[in-house]
Amino acid sequence: MFHTFDNVESAQPEARADWMALLSRAPLELLESAVGPHWPAKPNWLRAPETGLMMIQGRAGSTGERFNLGEVTVSRCALRLELASPQAAVVGVAYTLGRSHRQVSLAAVADAMLQDPSQQGLLEQILLAPIREYLSHQRMVREQRAQSTKVEFFTVARESGALDDEGDA
Amino acid sequence: MSLHDLASLGAGFSHESFGSQAIFRCALNALSQPGRCITVEHDAQVPRSGKAAGAVLLLALLDSDCTLWLSPSLQGSDAAAWLRFHTGCQMVSQPDRAMFAWVGEGDAMPLLSSFSQGSDSEPDFSATCIIDVQQMHTDANIDSCWTLSGPGIQNLSHLTVEGLPEDFVLQWAANHARFPRGVDLFLATQTHLLGLPRTTSIQLSGGL
Repeated sequence: MFHTFDNVESAQPEARADWMALLSRAPLELLESAVGPHWPAKPNWLRAPETGLMMIQGRAGSTGERFNLGEVTVSRCALRLELASPQAAVVGVAYTLGRSHRQVSLAAVADAMLQDPSQQGLLEQILLAPIREYLSHQRMVREQRAQSTKVEFFTVARESGALDDEGDA
Repeated sequence: MSLHDLASLGAGFSHESFGSQAIFRCALNALSQPGRCITVEHDAQVPRSGKAAGAVLLLALLDSDCTLWLSPSLQGSDAAAWLRFHTGCQMVSQPDRAMFAWVGEGDAMPLLSSFSQGSDSEPDFSATCIIDVQQMHTDANIDSCWTLSGPGIQNLSHLTVEGLPEDFVLQWAANHARFPRGVDLFLATQTHLLGLPRTTSIQLSGGL
């Protein structure tokens, strides 16, 4: 699980980082069904959806020195959403892999709506929980696929003190 | 920049490339006709601090490879956050490390010689400075106006600027003498830009 964000020292609650990480990996169908109906008639773009390349870095074994793994296609956008509650407008930001502008726009709307406490509960139910389920299912499938290629190496322990070399496999 | 600031930031050009191309055209006009006020039209939601024409000029010119120095009143203002968000430029604290500099109205302008001057072989590495001024006039009938001459000016053009340091003409003469090195200047008001490239020479004249 990666946690790379623009502002590391931000005082934002951890919750926002968590749901942004979830939204950035959410499939389009889930976003469309949950957030699609709330799509603003005239989105107030702070940064219109744009697609570009980003260098991603890895660490060997998650602990070693950073190295450049390769470039990935990333779409990003930021929009301002007026809320129904008297609270001032909120800004939703999203980064997703791939080139789908619809996906990244919906993720940004979801991020903005999640900052509204009155809608958080509902969205948690209809959006975040299904995304978690989807991701854990995906992980399970991947693990099973990896599991099927697993090779077991058997070695029979050499009897201590035995001198003949032919007895062991 | 914290996310809290994000909610108060304005949007950039509604169409990024057309918007910045239009401003780039204004900048070309301003530098090719020094001493002429060029009207700037744009649809960006400019920040509260800083003059609008200066803000959109930087919005059009900057990208993530550019370094920008801001005067004290602009540092940490919404203008800084706005430029950082939309252009990704890098802020620097020393004027001589900046490719672009923006001096807010009322702030003391650093010496022109303190900015990057380029070198004789690479004069394009010098800084471009944008200076916010209260107002500027180009009529010849005002007392103690300046007379501009040089490439891009057919005969002579006249200029009066409010909001520049007293010794500006002296500093400018030194800057002009350093050619091919030296900084290029844009003067900005809310709606207008005026270019002063290093090739322009300024003479004090007593008015007509």
